[in-house]
Amino acid sequence: MFQGLTFEPFSLPEGAEAIRADVRRFLADTLDPGDLPNSDFNAGDSAEFSKKLAEQGWIGMTWPKEYGGAGKSFLERYVVTEELLAAGAPVGCHWIADRQSGPLLLKFGTEAQRQQFLPKIISGDIFFSIGMSEPDTGSDLASIRTSATKTEGGWILNGSKIWTSYAHTNHYMVTLVRTEPPSENRHAGMSQFIVDLHAQGVKVTGIRNLSGEEDFNQVFFDDVFIPDEMVVGEPGNGWEQVISELGYERSGPERFLSAFRVMVEFAREIEQNPSDEQLALLGKLTAHLVTLRRMSITVAGMLESGKLPITEAALIKDLGNTYERRVPELVRLAAVNNPSRRFVDTLNECILHAPSFTLRGGTREILKGVIARGLGLR
Amino acid sequence: MNEQQQLIKDTLDRMLTDLCTADVVDKAEAGTFAKKLWDALARTGLTVAGLPEEAGGAGGELEDSLLVIREAARYAAPVPLAEHFVAGMLIAGQGGKVGEEILTVATGAFRVDSSGRLVGAGEAPFARWCDRVVLVADASGTAKLCVIPVSDLRVEEGGSLAGEPRDAITVDTTPDGNAVMSTGDDTADRLQLMMAAVRALQMAGALEAVLELAVRYSLERNQFGRPISGFQAIQQQLANLAGEVAASTMAAHAVSAAFRDLNQVDIAIGKARIGEAVSSGTDIAHQVHGAMGYTREHTLNHRTRRLWGWREEFGNEREWQVLIGRAFLEGGADNLWGKVTVRR
Repeated sequence: MFQGLTFEPFSLPEGAEAIRADVRRFLADTLDPGDLPNSDFNAGDSAEFSKKLAEQGWIGMTWPKEYGGAGKSFLERYVVTEELLAAGAPVGCHWIADRQSGPLLLKFGTEAQRQQFLPKIISGDIFFSIGMSEPDTGSDLASIRTSATKTEGGWILNGSKIWTSYAHTNHYMVTLVRTEPPSENRHAGMSQFIVDLHAQGVKVTGIRNLSGEEDFNQVFFDDVFIPDEMVVGEPGNGWEQVISELGYERSGPERFLSAFRVMVEFAREIEQNPSDEQLALLGKLTAHLVTLRRMSITVAGMLESGKLPITEAALIKDLGNTYERRVPELVRLAAVNNPSRRFVDTLNECILHAPSFTLRGGTREILKGVIARGLGLR
Repeated sequence: MNEQQQLIKDTLDRMLTDLCTADVVDKAEAGTFAKKLWDALARTGLTVAGLPEEAGGAGGELEDSLLVIREAARYAAPVPLAEHFVAGMLIAGQGGKVGEEILTVATGAFRVDSSGRLVGAGEAPFARWCDRVVLVADASGTAKLCVIPVSDLRVEEGGSLAGEPRDAITVDTTPDGNAVMSTGDDTADRLQLMMAAVRALQMAGALEAVLELAVRYSLERNQFGRPISGFQAIQQQLANLAGEVAASTMAAHAVSAAFRDLNQVDIAIGKARIGEAVSSGTDIAHQVHGAMGYTREHTLNHRTRRLWGWREEFGNEREWQVLIGRAFLEGGADNLWGKVTVRR
């Protein structure tokens, strides 16, 4: 078989499972029953909720104790995140800092950066965005034009980033910029900066998405001074840093659970008197879900043991995104007559967010290219 | 895969490459049993790899047999490995023993009357090439496991759309006393579940082969001056196929793990999910192969026709999906997630 397609079975260890009941109890106590839960990690944000989660020790929980982390395993974190998503908790504020920015700093950042940022991420006091895409740069990330020139003690940053979720409410943005002009090696000469979103010369403009919400933005940099201390790792190392995040970014439960609340509300609609057609649909969707989850946990195990499963992660994201887009489409046609308001609202929320599922974190087309490379086709 | 299983896989790969050629598969479909292949598998103990020694098996792990069944399906091996194993499991479960004889299982309606006469009809894969058939009969409310010589049955030859023997059998005989054993009430269900599980594993194996064939063909076939693998349209299709195959590989692992306790829901998930992968996977593989794959000559069809047969046997996707849906709905909507996370 092809490398990257083997998916040797792996189960969450008992130690990781032990935390599940605690998370469920916390969610039952904390979530407002009046809210309409949404399993899309980007669909709800509450700084208050993130703060409460931090008090439990569940932000940055895998990070070393010296920074305030709990030193837990990546698999324990897996349990926490999947429970949050399945319950539809508003995780938008801390999600990126917890999943991506903190681990980035741990792996590539300076000691001073770790000491400055990690404890405050862990305490739920600062949140991060990711600045990668630009108005003329989407999937072709190496074509970015936002650039910085060297100056005394730092860099002068100019350009613009787009689709940056929560840049209007978050505190910092890890931003991919050109620190050298493009050369033959188009992946060279890029760096990641930690940009203070309230610094002079930074302007954040909201963009309304199709559902009418303003959760993403365009961020403009007009001669923004970035001190040397805010360069992540070594200048010029940006591309390698971005690539190293992909396994974590693409294989997690957020890549197939976004529509989960639709399944729950569908189950609620039919639980009294299900037809065989409705049971078959629920069975089909759960068969996919259970299988995707097993794949995702397998990759979590690989990540925990230090592997870098790029193809596997792309496969999970592509399959998972395809699945979570199909859920509302199939469920709407199998629903009961006179559905409840709650069901309709949950379904509509999902339909309105669904186009983003197969775009964010690598489009469907980019993922298929990664998989094709794994098959030896390119 | 442990060391023992790697050894089994390597041995099996060599044996099947030599003895399970396209010609052998074609001849089997035309009615000639692949005796050399079966004898070689039997001689090395691969036909009973996972059965305990006291039951006449090779004394390996259960998973060893499941691996053999899955790997053999990559080659479309036209022999009753899966049926022989399930029959052996049932016999071993009664404290019985398997020998040199080739076994299969039958499903249908069978009963034993008060005088000990066994009557009924059903279907038994490969019956015409087997020595004995294992079936479950009802004796006034209690279940009996019967091991009946094929020579005592009326066998009406039939075939699946893959040309695999799916013979109709009729029985009206008074078996020897030791050929009829009292068994648990759930034995007929166990037989059904085991067969659904091995079919799921066979599908997973054949799907892997289908992906390999499609990728290889795309690299070899030139159009517009370059291999068709260079076209994004083809790459995307093959990436989709790879996704379905990866999912079915994962589901097959879960089926293997569920086999020991015959966990119904996990086997159902495997059969249903892998069955779905067959529909989209074979579609893509054939499209990539173009007209060449539509010929009887190309070996792709040995796999795809079997896949289309196996997805239907022992419960198709829809039948299992209803069962899965019911299992997950039990306990209500708010317990749905809890039912997902208990599936390890």
